Formats: sequence, C-alpha cells, structure tokens
Amino acid sequence: MLAFDPSSVFLSNLLLAQEEAEAATGGLDIVTLLNQALNGVGIVGILLLTGLGLAITFGVMRIINLAHGEFIMLGAYVTFVFQDAFGMDLLMTIPFAFLVTAIIGAVVELTIIRRLYGNPLETLLATWGLSIVLQGVVKLIFTAQLKYVKAPPYLSGNLPLLSDDSGGALISISYYRMFIIVVALALLGVTMYLFYKTSWGRQIRAVTQNRDMAKCLGVNTKLVDMGTFAYGCGLAGVAGAVISALKTVAPPMGQDYLVDAWMVVVTGGVDKLIGVLAGSLLIGEANAVIAFILNDPTARVIVLAAVIVLIRYRPEGLFTIQKRS
Amino acid sequence: MANAVMGYKQSSFPTKLAAISGIALLIFIILPFVFGDFQLSLMSKLLLFGSLGISLDLVWGFTGILSFAHGVFFTLGGYASAYYLKLNLSAASNTYGGELPDFMVWNGLETLPWFIAPLKYFPIALVATVAVPALFAYILGYFIFRSKVSGVYITIITLAISSALTTFFVSQQAYTGGTNGITDVSKLSFLGSPIPPIGLYFLILAFTVFVLALSWWLTQSNLGLILRSINENEKRIAFLGYDVAQFKIFIWTLSAALAGMAGGLFVPLNQFISPVYLAVAFGTQVVIWVAIGGRGTLVGPLLAAILLGQVQNYAEKVTQDWQLVIGILLLVVVLFIPNGLMSLLPKQLSLANLSKPKLLKTPDAVKN
Repeated sequence: MLAFDPSSVFLSNLLLAQEEAEAATGGLDIVTLLNQALNGVGIVGILLLTGLGLAITFGVMRIINLAHGEFIMLGAYVTFVFQDAFGMDLLMTIPFAFLVTAIIGAVVELTIIRRLYGNPLETLLATWGLSIVLQGVVKLIFTAQLKYVKAPPYLSGNLPLLSDDSGGALISISYYRMFIIVVALALLGVTMYLFYKTSWGRQIRAVTQNRDMAKCLGVNTKLVDMGTFAYGCGLAGVAGAVISALKTVAPPMGQDYLVDAWMVVVTGGVDKLIGVLAGSLLIGEANAVIAFILNDPTARVIVLAAVIVLIRYRPEGLFTIQKRS
Repeated sequence: MANAVMGYKQSSFPTKLAAISGIALLIFIILPFVFGDFQLSLMSKLLLFGSLGISLDLVWGFTGILSFAHGVFFTLGGYASAYYLKLNLSAASNTYGGELPDFMVWNGLETLPWFIAPLKYFPIALVATVAVPALFAYILGYFIFRSKVSGVYITIITLAISSALTTFFVSQQAYTGGTNGITDVSKLSFLGSPIPPIGLYFLILAFTVFVLALSWWLTQSNLGLILRSINENEKRIAFLGYDVAQFKIFIWTLSAALAGMAGGLFVPLNQFISPVYLAVAFGTQVVIWVAIGGRGTLVGPLLAAILLGQVQNYAEKVTQDWQLVIGILLLVVVLFIPNGLMSLLPKQLSLANLSKPKLLKTPDAVKN
C-alpha cells in the first residue's frame, strides 16, 4: 500500500513508468490494463444497476431518497428467502424482488414521502430514519448473520477473450459480470421505453413538468407519484437481487451502494435517463483506472473528491443541457 | 441618569432564565458527587456529544445548512489530541520503548512524520485541535458556499466528505492507525500529574457551558438575526446587501472549531479515537440529537444527547436493537413533531419566553 507522502507517490509513479517502458516490448502491460478496464466494466454494471432506481426517485421525482440502499438490501433478502425456502433459481426470484420492494416502496410513499413533498431537507431526514428502521427490522427478522445467495451454475466461470500460447486465459470476463451488465442495460432500455413511449410515461413527465396543469387535464397525480416511486424502488430491488450473489447479504449492505448510487446520479445529471449510463461509465472507469495507477482506497477518495468538485460547479450534472430559466 | 440606565439594564435581565440555568448548572455540579465512576464518564461523554449537537444546531437550526460532516470536524480535533497524548506516553509504557507510537512501528515507519511530530508539544496540540477542523471547514465552506449550490446538494457533499475521509483514514494505516485508530493513549495531565475523572468532568462541564453561552450570545446578537434571516429567505437578505456566503462561512467555521474542541476533549476521556467517528453513522447521530431535541433551540440538542445516551445505556442491556428505536424516533419527530421535543414543552417554559425582558417600569419607578 502506498503511504501518504507526496514524494513516495511521485516515486511509485516513476517506477510504474519505468516498468511500463520495460514491459512495452512483451505486451504484458497492455494485458493488465485491458483486464483493469474490463474490471471497470464490471463496476460500471453494478453502478448502473444501483443508480437506475435512484435516477427515477431523485432524477424524475426529485425525492431525496437516502433509503435507496435499503431497498437494494430488501431485494437481496427477497432473493435469499425465495432461494432458501423454495430452492428457486436466482433469475426466477428477480420478478419477486421487484414486486416486493415496489409494494414496500408504494407503502412508504403513501405514509411518509407524500407528507413531505416540497420539503427536500425533511424528506432527506425522514428517508434516513426510514433506512435505519428498515435495517433494524431486517436485522430483527433475519438476525445480523451474513446470508449467502448462490449464483446460477450456468453463470459461473469466465469467458476467455485472449489466451496466451499455452492456452491459459490472459484476458477474461466472468459470465456473472456480463450478466449484470446485460440486466442493467435491459432495465435501462425498458425504463426508457416506459418513460418515453407509453401513456404512463407521458403522465409522469407531465406531472414533473407542470403538476397543476397535469392535474387540470385529469391526470391522477397522486397515483402517478406513488407508481413512479414504487417503480424506482422496484428497480432497486432488482439491483439487490442481482448483486446478492456477488457479496454476502447483510442488513447494512445497502449503505455501501447508497453513496455510489448518489454519485452516479449526480454526475450523470437528472435531465435525461441516459445520464445515469454516462455517470456510471465515467465513475466506474475512472475508479478502475486510478485504482490501477495507485490503489483502491486512493481511487475512491479521488473519485469522491472529483464528484464534490463537480457538484460545486455543475450541480445539474455533466450531461445536462443548460437551459435558460 | 446612570441609575436610569442601570434600572433599564436590571429590568431587561431575564431573571427566570437565569434562575433556571443556575439551577441546572447546580445540578450538574452536584451530580458527580452522587454518581459512580461509570456514570461520571458516561455523563462527561454525553456533555461532549451535547456540545457537538449545539455546534451543529448553529449551522442547521439557525442557518439552515444540514451537515452530516460534524462528526468529521469532531474527529479531526480528536486525532490532533490523540497524537498529543500518544506521543507523550512515557517510554516505559510505550510498547516499543522508543519515541515512535506502536502502530507506526507495526507499519514499518522509522521516523516520526514531520506533520505529526510538532503535536508532541501541548500548545501546538491545543491550537491544532481547534485550527485543523476550523481550517478544513473554512476551505470547504469557502468552496461550497460561494456557489449556486443549494441546501440539499450541500448535505450530499457533506455525506461524500464523511465517506471519503473515512476511506482515507482507514487506508493510511501507518499514519492514522487504520481501522483501529489511535489506542492506548496516555492520560491528560496537568502540571505533571494526571487529571482524575472528576477533574475531566468539570473541565468538560465548563466547556459545555462555554459552548452554550457563546452560542446563546451569538444567536441573540444581530449576527444571529442575520443567520435566521438567511434560513428564512436567503435571497431577500442578499438583496439587502449582506454577503450571505460570508456569514455562512463564518458560522460554519466557528461551528467546526467548537466541534473540534469537543473532539479534543473526547480523546482523554474515551482513551481512543478511530474512523468510526468519521463515518456517516456518527454524523447521523449528531443530526438525530438536533432533530429530536429541536432545531434552533440550542438546549434541545444538549438535552436530547444526554437523554438518548442515558436511555441507550439502559436499553442496550435489554435489547440489541437500539438503532431501530432511534430510527423510529427520528421518523416520528420528522413527521409529527418537526420542531423537536423542546416544542412540546409548555409555552411558558420556552426559551424565547423565558429570555424575554420584563416590561420597562415607569420612569418614576426607575428613579429610586
């Protein structure tokens, strides 16, 4: 691990540069770099998956939802329960994870969020309280013990992309990471279709643009609010179900994803749904590249600092077209 | 004439408030003689947490900036004080006998880093406990308040700061002791002899009174009026010609300095500091004390910290799920009692009412 000392950081960079120069002939360095980039693609998949739900609840509805991580956690627990009780395949549990978290999301919208519209700081506090409560309740039911979810057997193993002379894989990507990316992109596609091509999506956009006018035209704004929030929570639930096989399932697991999801949405901007893809690409790859040059914790600190600077100068996100207001 | 002025002053003095705070102070002075050792250290800790709550109330309750980073300021002060206490371990009680703290030896450091070495001296350490968090807050404040960034985004920035610093402190094991933090520190001593727990209690009590009095005075002054106006309507106060950002940066920095001092006093009491206090969870605790006690009441956060801490102490013997109780309490307060528990007190007991000066007597009455 690198020590916090400017000179040593500089020195190690120098050493790395020397190594690069030496390895350039063997081509080994490009392999490591490619592997790191692929690793980054895996992170991008997870970021996209966890950020998508938040892009709905925050991006579209402007609800500061700090309980987002807990909805991911709930989705993971749903998968655990269905797999544990009925021996279901992970893929089969995804619809249930979506339904259960969406229903919980609808209840939360009805009982808590609805009372606090137009009051972002209060919403932030209430959802933070909710996140503590959800963790506590899950801990009460399932205890704090770590739970394990099995990935389907056909998704285990790696896909070799490049082999060396003896047949060993030089560059490979695990099937599960590919699966995550496919799910994330599919969900993004479905969500975009729902938002831009269906009447429900048109109603949602109408309500966000001009609530009073939409109400006058006969849109049931309260139902739209509830439905949209529930959908965002359901997406978080799917994220939880898919992620559950990657790491252990435990009550505080959502906290790990909360900050990342926020960073993705804030970076991508909330104007267009596609921003969440841009945000996760940028953060995921930046993280992987910096981690390759320095190390993991430093990469995280640098990325977080960069996002803070970004919020300072462009709170509306990088990929938002500037409008006159 | 002089009499009249004195008469005016006497009549404007909030007698009731003075009486109540006098009684409260007396109770806190008597308490340690009734308490056992455990309660003594618990109460010292809760008073510090209360002071931390008051410092957050200055920026949140009065100025409307919700921060999850006050645990960070607290911990920065704490680390400064922990380095001082660690470096002043006598050679005999240091595991490796030498100058170097044990965690640095474990991580292969051979000399004391230049930025930690000066903390061996008390005056420097004392200044650092206040200056490091204050400077950090000033830079941060200068950066975020002089922009178009609004309330919620600032809160998200504070969340990110807390998360980033936790990762940073955990990763720099050789310099910060990593996840374990700085443990086994020496006792704070005065003129060569260690301060007993009761002495520490009174030191902390004095600090708490100082924080409360300073905050009270500040918020009653014209400055407090401006801060509250910023909370009510930032645009209007800017149109009146006030530099809103400057006021925000000032109160933010001051609040961080107070939080840092609390952290500095926390280490001699707690005997260790670790990244746990940097993390978002602790920052949330502070927010919860203020939310439950009542924003903008100053006394509310102090009482909430003491009350919740005491209840937690007993509740944890019965249940493992104290956090759940806290979460439910926070939800209930936000949804149903937005002004906190202090607002449930009868009107006559409210701070605003108590501090209201009595009506001026007629000039005749003043004359005598």
